[in-house]
Amino acid sequence: MESYMKEIERRLGGNDDFFILPDHMGGIPYVMMGFVTLIDLTRTKIALRKNRESLSETISDLTELMAVFGDIREFDLEETVTMIMGGKLILLFGGQRRYVVVDPIPIELSRAVESPTNENVLQGSMSSFNEDIDTNIGIVRKQSISKHVRVKTFLTGSEQLKKISLLYDNCHVEPDLVDKIIKQIESSSDNDINNLQNLSKTMGFSSWSIIPKFYTTELPQEAANALKKGKVILFVDRLPFALILPNLLWDMFSLDNDRNFPLPIMYAIRILRVIGVLTTLLAPGLYVALVAVNPEVLRIELALTIAQSREGVPYPAIVEIIFMLIILELIIEASTRLPKSIGPTITMVGGIILGQAVVTARLVSNLLIIVLAATTIANSTVVGFQNSLSIRLFKYLLVILCSIYGVLGLLAGLVILSAYLASINTFGISYLNFNMKKGETENG
Amino acid sequence: MKVGKSMLALSLVVALCGCWDNTDINHRVLPVVMGVSKKDSEYKIFLQIPEPIQNRTLIKIVTGSGSTINHAVDKISANLEDHVDLLHVKLILLDKKYAQSGVDDSIADFMRGRDVSPKTLVSICDEDMEQFFIKVKTKMEPKGTTLYDFFEKNAGWNPQIALTRVWEVYRSIHSYTRDVAIPVIHSGTSTVVQHEGSGVIKNGKMVAQIDSDETLLFNAFNGESTQGKIEVMDHASVLITSNSIRHKGTMLDGKPYLKSKIKLKVVIQETKGHPTSDEIKKEIEVMLKTRFDQMFVKLQASGADILGTGQYFRNIIPRTQLKDWRTKYYPKLKLDFQVQATIENTGFTNLQ
Amino acid sequence: MDKSNHVVLVYCLTQLGFMFFFYPGNIISSATEGHWIPIVFGMLVNILVVWAYMKGLSYFPKQDIISIYLSVGKWAAFVFLCPLVIFLLLVNIITVRGFSEVISLVFLENTPVWAISGLFISISTYMAMNGIGAIFRTGVLLAFLFLPLILFTFIISFQNVDFHYVFPILTKNFSFLWKPGYLHSFSAFAGSFLFLGFITPYFTYSRSKMMLALAALVPFFILSVYLPILTFGQATASTFNFPFVVLVSTIHINWLMFDRVTMFLLLSLITFSMLFISLLLWEVSRILKRAMPKAKPNYLMLIVSTLIFAACMSISSWEGVQMLFNWNISFRFFTLFAIPFSILIIGLRSGRRQKDESR
Repeated sequence: MESYMKEIERRLGGNDDFFILPDHMGGIPYVMMGFVTLIDLTRTKIALRKNRESLSETISDLTELMAVFGDIREFDLEETVTMIMGGKLILLFGGQRRYVVVDPIPIELSRAVESPTNENVLQGSMSSFNEDIDTNIGIVRKQSISKHVRVKTFLTGSEQLKKISLLYDNCHVEPDLVDKIIKQIESSSDNDINNLQNLSKTMGFSSWSIIPKFYTTELPQEAANALKKGKVILFVDRLPFALILPNLLWDMFSLDNDRNFPLPIMYAIRILRVIGVLTTLLAPGLYVALVAVNPEVLRIELALTIAQSREGVPYPAIVEIIFMLIILELIIEASTRLPKSIGPTITMVGGIILGQAVVTARLVSNLLIIVLAATTIANSTVVGFQNSLSIRLFKYLLVILCSIYGVLGLLAGLVILSAYLASINTFGISYLNFNMKKGETENG
Repeated sequence: MKVGKSMLALSLVVALCGCWDNTDINHRVLPVVMGVSKKDSEYKIFLQIPEPIQNRTLIKIVTGSGSTINHAVDKISANLEDHVDLLHVKLILLDKKYAQSGVDDSIADFMRGRDVSPKTLVSICDEDMEQFFIKVKTKMEPKGTTLYDFFEKNAGWNPQIALTRVWEVYRSIHSYTRDVAIPVIHSGTSTVVQHEGSGVIKNGKMVAQIDSDETLLFNAFNGESTQGKIEVMDHASVLITSNSIRHKGTMLDGKPYLKSKIKLKVVIQETKGHPTSDEIKKEIEVMLKTRFDQMFVKLQASGADILGTGQYFRNIIPRTQLKDWRTKYYPKLKLDFQVQATIENTGFTNLQ
Repeated sequence: MDKSNHVVLVYCLTQLGFMFFFYPGNIISSATEGHWIPIVFGMLVNILVVWAYMKGLSYFPKQDIISIYLSVGKWAAFVFLCPLVIFLLLVNIITVRGFSEVISLVFLENTPVWAISGLFISISTYMAMNGIGAIFRTGVLLAFLFLPLILFTFIISFQNVDFHYVFPILTKNFSFLWKPGYLHSFSAFAGSFLFLGFITPYFTYSRSKMMLALAALVPFFILSVYLPILTFGQATASTFNFPFVVLVSTIHINWLMFDRVTMFLLLSLITFSMLFISLLLWEVSRILKRAMPKAKPNYLMLIVSTLIFAACMSISSWEGVQMLFNWNISFRFFTLFAIPFSILIIGLRSGRRQKDESR
């Protein structure tokens, strides 16, 4: 036991928050080990004592006593270290080749359930997922009270252990999909998962896919709805959102919360989002196509106005629009980086001062500013921040094609985009599916 | 994925080396009106170019001459600082003399090339073109599209102006049974332009001219709305609020016979003396009929079927003979034109 | 898996993409009056052929035409599939080259043809490489995006119609049957329906829905010819290479912010033809894959499309395209008649044999 303790100390002793504390209870000495930063030591000790006292006095057998404290395990250095890293308290008893793993009272390291910060909800349930995986699963269970909901938990990683939980509705989901996902996770359980890229790799997705394969949401309502539709939810410990598999095109436009409105209004809102996406994609491209390549499509009055507003702009439309688009992206990026209190400043500087000055300085045309404003606003109508990112990227493809081929380029870009979207599938389910009916198997 | 990446690279290469049609709109000269005249087999082209400067539009008239229209335009383009783009030409103004000598070549060229849209309006200028543009320019300075607006249906168009587009002229050159009328204008004294009536074009040649009142009947005959036109008569003036027309063609003893019945709805505007509504009705009907008959005699003499009367015999005369419509049948055509006027209301007051 | 709607939709799209460009010109050049007779005759032939093809295929569930021919013998596969491959390649070349010409005529006069053809080919190849399922789904997306636009412009193209040009309705003149223009007009049908024989291993579709779609296309074929005739008259319409394209450019809309809206119609139709090209490419690659089982289908596809691109570049003029059209006549009629009916005959024979065996 002594040597075992030495060995652990050698492994973890470099940490100042690691403690080895001898203690005794009822005359039996033991040593406690753990991290003070993860374990509320005082309260844990009290709890241990209470635990002991509540039992009859007559326990004399050591094994019996050990069983009262927690799990008894054989010596296994790797496992012990992992346990300690995972925030468990380890008890070592003299002369034993076994040790006890105690579930201590942890120091509270997760935030409470709060309202969502990345997604806004109008007239809907306001709680959101947080970093703690058990809390998240609990929230889902609370949201969708159904005996069919199943939870499967995996531990993955070689360097860092991560808990992943898989939730599905036994009654709605395709068993095939769950099998595939479980197989995939198990086959690559050595991968460390710290972010979504890691997770994508674990799930065997191409890391170059522009459309996210997961639909990420903070809203329990969405997650519960996904379960009902036969989708699968993945939770990764320390990632404060649900990852819904598979992500479908229609998720970009529909939110379960829409159903809190009357049906015609729901349809109107969803059509609005479709228009928003189309505007984001088409408006900048259309500007380039009409101004530079196919001005005959414009009415003469409009053509003259645009020509007038572009008078003195020293570069071609494509450069003009890319220049301004990048500045806009910078503004968006900057306002996500900044603390909330300084955010409005950027909006003002970017929007009012820059926008106005750039026109007065005749660096870009008036119309372009309008087009860009429409684009940026429309871009935000999409459901899910991840989706809005991919759309932001796609519009550049269209802009470039438009500068070469004009209106033809615009439509060609749309065709490429459609073909790309059509080619995406997740575990055999096409991105374009409306429901979770199994898509056909691919063939070359 | 490898393939995808290589394709991406390829498209980037294309993007880097080619923007062939990419000319910014402010580097294009967008003429709105093109005047064409021909002297001794040399074309002279006038382009009216609105030039946006700061908050107003200047108008520039440039001219060039060459052995073909394109040649002339090319010369102008070479001399201008920007690229001349005929894509936005809205009105083609033909010199009257040129129109009389035949414009079918130019029209066919306009249809062939993509530059000039087939929708472009055609009109005839009854004046020396140079003079015309000089006079017009001084009058329409603040707005660049005045000449075009004159013909635009939701702007300055009136029912007594024939509205004819390039493709219609082209159709008349090839069609067996249909000719067109092209508006004739010259510069006005107080207004920018003055409408003089319409030139009758037969196979691309101007063969006769009808005045604006007759053009109104021509428009009505073709089912165009004549709404808003005021007819002045001896005893009253009326406002036409709607019109409809029906045609029926038959063959009588091998001669074509066309019965056309036009129904007009009018509102009384002014009266002189004390006419009854029946009198006014009669007066309109008689006046329009005589006017139409006069016009038709003129048209029949010119041999141009701008009313498209041959269309109503398409189901009667076989196609092989329809080819000779203009020579064999049209001169013999008897047209029975009937006017039926309805006085819709008399305004706020009664007719005494 | 039943994908009737997808199949029908993709068939309609490919037909729509093709019919408005070459078909009206061909018909107008082959008949001077009563155009509906040649159109309806052509459609009847088409319906008969498609019916025979589908009937024949229905005897071989889950088998594509390649395996059907192979089941008869290697010689059959060779005899029937070789001309088919040549036909598909020729159609691809003609389509790519012809459409690039139309585009450079209507929208981009300075852009070199190779750039436009290159765009065409690369997009179609990309679609084809994603597989037939993806092609179908792309078709659905494209239909969502562009069909409303097309229907809108289609309706407003009635703007300048003069119904008197319908006359004369009847004609006793059937000489159109032998005019080269009429023979060319069948290119609108041949090629489009072939994919039905390639998708059978993956999807099933209902034959009655397909026949309904064929019937629904008849008015579109008739209008594609009659709209130019009603607007211009036969005498004028026959002077145009692409009557429908000219018709579309004569439409004037006062209340729209765009001037040549109709350009969007043409372009949307062109996107449908990209779908068509990708289908053809996929069919070619299927056949070649069977011939060379070791080759990777994607590489085959790339090679084929490079070949097509090279061929397109070697055609220097519109005359060249016309010449290819003429060369293609025999192959066209071969695929139009020989393939469907041979499948039908093979199917009937095997059906009888099965019956005998079951007895």
